[in-house]
Amino acid sequence: MKKLLTLEINGERFDVAVSPATFLVDVIRETVGLTGTKKGCGIGDCGACTVLIDGRPTLSCLTLAVACTGKSITTIEGLSRGTELHPVQQAFIDKGAIQCGYCTPGMILSSTALLAENPSPSEEEIKHGLAGNLCRCTGYVKIIEAVKHAAETMAKEAK
Amino acid sequence: MHGEPFGYEKPASLREFESLFAERGEDAKILAGGTDLFVLIKERLLAPRLLIDISDLPELRGISYDPGEGLTIMAGTKVAEIERSALVREHAPALAFAAANLGSNQVRWMATMAGNVCHASPAAETPPVLLAHGCELVIGTPGGERTLPISEFFLAYRKTALQAGEYLKAFRLPPLPARSAVAYQLRGLRRAMEIDMLNMGIYLELAADGVTVSDIRLAMGSVGPVTYRARGTEQRLKGMRLGEEFMAAAGAGVAEEATPIDDMRASAAYRNRVIGVLARRGLEQCLEQIGKGRGEA
Repeated sequence: MKKLLTLEINGERFDVAVSPATFLVDVIRETVGLTGTKKGCGIGDCGACTVLIDGRPTLSCLTLAVACTGKSITTIEGLSRGTELHPVQQAFIDKGAIQCGYCTPGMILSSTALLAENPSPSEEEIKHGLAGNLCRCTGYVKIIEAVKHAAETMAKEAK
Repeated sequence: MHGEPFGYEKPASLREFESLFAERGEDAKILAGGTDLFVLIKERLLAPRLLIDISDLPELRGISYDPGEGLTIMAGTKVAEIERSALVREHAPALAFAAANLGSNQVRWMATMAGNVCHASPAAETPPVLLAHGCELVIGTPGGERTLPISEFFLAYRKTALQAGEYLKAFRLPPLPARSAVAYQLRGLRRAMEIDMLNMGIYLELAADGVTVSDIRLAMGSVGPVTYRARGTEQRLKGMRLGEEFMAAAGAGVAEEATPIDDMRASAAYRNRVIGVLARRGLEQCLEQIGKGRGEA
């Protein structure tokens, strides 16, 4: 039997009717229609489905939608302010850290969570923070550069 | 849609959880983080009728320290919280290290140590450290609770000592005595999301003379159907003096008590060779920590 619930995604409230066995990634993509969140392996290994829940990087393929009521969900669509990209998004473009793009939303959200906790991470800390996000194009060097660049940009902006 | 549909309940209090679990425990599973549970459900290895979500129960969250009782970690505490906890870093640094090596950042923010332990995989990251610490488990029973040393918890491959209607409520790590330390050693193919090909928790305690081994625990993972201690070796090592003879006996002892198999992650022969190396490295790490503690005192 479907349950009626309210999800807060990117500051907006969505009323959705879902079966208790529905995973958050499917509700975000199919019901709400935000297709920036990608579905990769479906078992938590690849990180493509990463969203932020109350600021914490979370695998939406292993999270029930019904368990997310009362929580604040951020998807890749929620990072930019209007047409102005988030510094992490801009850094990924500027440093060529995007190839096929499939891992990018998850990479950017994991990076955002990392920088919120640790504004100037070392290369090792970046690797540790992003280890749950796989890039099948293997573009890791540029992704790490992009996170370093984003950290510098955000530090300047904060001044 | 993978797997069978299931019902979902999210009790608002521990009391509500306990009565629901008592009533529906037979065909229900506890949902804490879901990082193991949903993989099993999606792969059709489990088909519970009901999931009981305990992830936001405040009574099951938190980490505290008492000089007499030691460190208490409630079962619903996220692995990421254990990894970052100042109390854990101070009183059980090897556990903080093991927590930081579990899964990925996303998994650590979702998963709980109770899930890692109750899943009872012989390759799990946290059980070897908990065994090395001589951890006591607080188990919620219908209408009460009981405690059990973690060394009696793992009965067989993915089988634990939890009885019907029981659940893991908290971990208690007794305070470390003077001149003692715990270390964690692991071998895996990459730094995240891998299943360890070998891991080990090591506890070393020295007598007042600083050179005699008064107590030792060597807990091995991925070398048998459960994580277990090399008890025969521990007995032989107690009373020995530190030195090359002791190190060699430790390495040879764990290799003898390990019962690894060949699988996709490593061969039995490799595991047998390397487990002794992990024991030696772990003991050296313990000695270093004990030395540091003495320097401060």
